[in-house]
Amino acid sequence: MCIKRKLITGLIFTLALCLVLPMQVYAHGARIEYTSSTEIEIVAKYDTGEPMGGAQVMVYAPDDPSTPWLTGVCDDEGRFTFVPDSTKSGTWDVQVRQAGHGDMAHIPVGEGAVVAGSSGGYSVLQIVLMAVCVVWGIAGTALYFSRRRA
Amino acid sequence: MVKTSLILGIAILVVVGTVLIGCGGGGTETGTLQFYANGEDFVRQGFVSKDGWSISFDHVYITLADVTAYQTDPPYDPHSGGAIQPDVEIGLDDVYTVDLAEGGEDAPPILVGEVQDAEVGHYNAIYWEMVRASSGPAAGHSIVIIGTAEKGGQVVDFTISIDEECRYSCGEYVGDERKGILQGDSIADLEMTFHFDHIFGDADTPLDDDLNLGAIGFEPFADAAEGEPVDINMTELHLGHVGEGHCYCLCE
Repeated sequence: MCIKRKLITGLIFTLALCLVLPMQVYAHGARIEYTSSTEIEIVAKYDTGEPMGGAQVMVYAPDDPSTPWLTGVCDDEGRFTFVPDSTKSGTWDVQVRQAGHGDMAHIPVGEGAVVAGSSGGYSVLQIVLMAVCVVWGIAGTALYFSRRRA
Repeated sequence: MVKTSLILGIAILVVVGTVLIGCGGGGTETGTLQFYANGEDFVRQGFVSKDGWSISFDHVYITLADVTAYQTDPPYDPHSGGAIQPDVEIGLDDVYTVDLAEGGEDAPPILVGEVQDAEVGHYNAIYWEMVRASSGPAAGHSIVIIGTAEKGGQVVDFTISIDEECRYSCGEYVGDERKGILQGDSIADLEMTFHFDHIFGDADTPLDDDLNLGAIGFEPFADAAEGEPVDINMTELHLGHVGEGHCYCLCE
């Protein structure tokens, strides 16, 4: 019993040492942090090819299609750039308007992009919970009756 | 003690399962989707055509059929001109003749109809047909425009009837606010917008602008009062829009 307790204490101590040591070793090292971002550029033109210079731009994120995530104006060449929030994967909508003319671009961002639209049914969490409930219920019932027989 | 715990556990399971099934809804949430037709201030307040005629409208009858809203993924591109590929589709069953000039200068767009049990989601495409009315004030025509035009002291009371029938396939509404985003137990709307400055031109827009270059103006219609027919190609005029957004149009 005593040896077992010593072993456990020793293991915990070693584990703690392993977690602390790397911080000490690299305490004076250089560190570079970086983020990777993908810039999106749009170019808005009339059907004639004329740039929509100064046109109003509204950007909508996938999680809130009603409220603009970003607003701005195109430059003289009809260009507008922005960096979408990479945590919001799905279809980003960009609306450009000027003098009674307008259009909307739909830009997929991230993998497995999901666009607005909804259908009924259960969420994954609900399905998992229900499966657990069913298994637990069956096992519990079986145990209950097997105990009565014994 | 063990027996009581087991029975209690099973009871909890039953309750939890029931609640989860209830949360699933066993179906889809619904709301009300309304369809509006809008002739904009051009129709409600009048305007000056590209050739200087000051035009006011008493009635602008337009007959709409097969009005349908869609949820599409990916969103429909009207520039492609292809068929709309919907995930969800709802529509109005009837044929409607509406007067876009109804109400005063500040009147709201005209409510054409609504679907009360529409599945929630983003209705990002719309289709409608402009057809010849079978009865009513616009019988036999798809559009009837009644009004008065004035230029340099000359006043012309006019009635312009258009017989062409058109099919409009449109993407998402483009305007001050996004439309068609329907949530449960709420109301959302879509708009069929008609740009009559595309027919008559607009004096407030440069004459060399595409809009004015493609528009007929009012002069031919004034001449028509003297017996000269006006040739109107509705496909080229692009009357139907979704706000400022363009539609794919086919008329015949």
